[in-house]
Amino acid sequence: MGIKIDYSFIFSALVQELKVLPLTLTITIVPLMFGLGIGIIIAIIRLRKIPVVDRIAAFYVSFVRGTPLLLHIMLIYFALPMAFDALALKYKWSLHSKDIPIIVFIFVAFSINAGAYMSEIIRSGILSVNYGQVEAAYSVGMTAPQAMRRIVLPQALAVNLPMLCSMFIALLQGSSLAFSISIVEVTGEANIYAAASFKFLEAFIAAAIIYWGMTILVERITSILEKRVQRYNRGGVT
Amino acid sequence: MIQLKNIHKSFGKHEVLKGIDLSVQQGEVVVILGPSGSGKTTLLRCINFLERPNEGEVAIDGFNVNCRHCCKEEILTLRKKTGMVFQHYNLFKNKTVLENVMEGLVVAQKIPREIAQQQSIHILEKIGLNEKLKAYPSEISGGQQQRVGIARALALNPKVILFDEPTSALDPELVGEVLQAIKRVAREGITMIVVTHEIDFALDIATKVVFMDGGLIVEQGMPDEVISHPKEERTRQFLRRLLPETSFSI
Repeated sequence: MGIKIDYSFIFSALVQELKVLPLTLTITIVPLMFGLGIGIIIAIIRLRKIPVVDRIAAFYVSFVRGTPLLLHIMLIYFALPMAFDALALKYKWSLHSKDIPIIVFIFVAFSINAGAYMSEIIRSGILSVNYGQVEAAYSVGMTAPQAMRRIVLPQALAVNLPMLCSMFIALLQGSSLAFSISIVEVTGEANIYAAASFKFLEAFIAAAIIYWGMTILVERITSILEKRVQRYNRGGVT
Repeated sequence: MIQLKNIHKSFGKHEVLKGIDLSVQQGEVVVILGPSGSGKTTLLRCINFLERPNEGEVAIDGFNVNCRHCCKEEILTLRKKTGMVFQHYNLFKNKTVLENVMEGLVVAQKIPREIAQQQSIHILEKIGLNEKLKAYPSEISGGQQQRVGIARALALNPKVILFDEPTSALDPELVGEVLQAIKRVAREGITMIVVTHEIDFALDIATKVVFMDGGLIVEQGMPDEVISHPKEERTRQFLRRLLPETSFSI
């Protein structure tokens, strides 16, 4: 028995799945942005060794990196509504957890996940910036936050551009797990579209093409950005 | 104009500065000499609090900071009265030459961008770098980088510019252009404190020479007195190694 592949079904599945690509990108990019914010805050807390908060941050990073993404989705999906309802009751909000769109759970879970990984990327980036840069910033009258925002962070992110790209790709692939709480993104659409005809292989091949294509696109964009930062990143004493 | 009173600084158990008193008048060019490890650079860095002294007082232009109990705002105010040129240039490497010079004006002094840009271009022109405005520090030579460093400090219009061994990291053939730039600044009457090993240069620009050893000021005075006719044996020892015998016959 040979493998029979229905090529035209791959094509029609592709067209169908592309319709939900914006959703897949949304649940990738939004958490990426929040994750970047969380990552920067956590990295600074840990580098400054702010008492107590530092411990909490270390626990957060350890726990999140020590457990799978699918589990984060489940924990948030079950815990967040309970927490929300408890708060709603206490502060007499008219909202109920049923009113929260499911996509919010995905945003929260993915952001928490991305934040933990991102904090380590940013921490190593900040550590790689020469302290002379900070001293120079102080010498022209900048405050510590100004020096961080304008001098240190841009250099830290530039150094770790390849790692941030990997983060984006990991999150893109991870977004397929959103289907576990019935968000119909690319993988979910493949499942549903194939169900009627049982042509799962074709549908998933189409999904693979989409993910791979997006990954290549992200890699391209990164290499263009890299060329731009390389102009100042290469060599030099400063 | 600048008053340092009883400055002490220790790194761990090692006391680097053991009570320094120094006063600098408006427009003076003070050159600090001394063997390595004598605390010259630490003293310079204490003036703008890149190192926080353990004890003592720093006053610039009437603004007095007690090192024992000072807050962030005081340190910031003090720093805004100073500019600094670093041994390793420390130009912001993610910024172009022009942005390096503008940065302090726009971010710290809140000068509108257009005005800051004009002022910065004007200073870079004076220092002969107007062709490199859009270059990144990694794209220009060490001498040019250090001249940008000087322009960056100068642009802030500070009460005093601190030079921390500005030519030590340069190739010998690039030293000249940087010394030339520093001389120009000196001629404009800006107060400067310079840590250097270039004795001839010190003689040339200094209005006052300070000789340090072991965390203390050993001798200070007119360059001619200190370099050509040192009173202290320690100063003579140090200079003997740097100058040919004949140049300071007593």
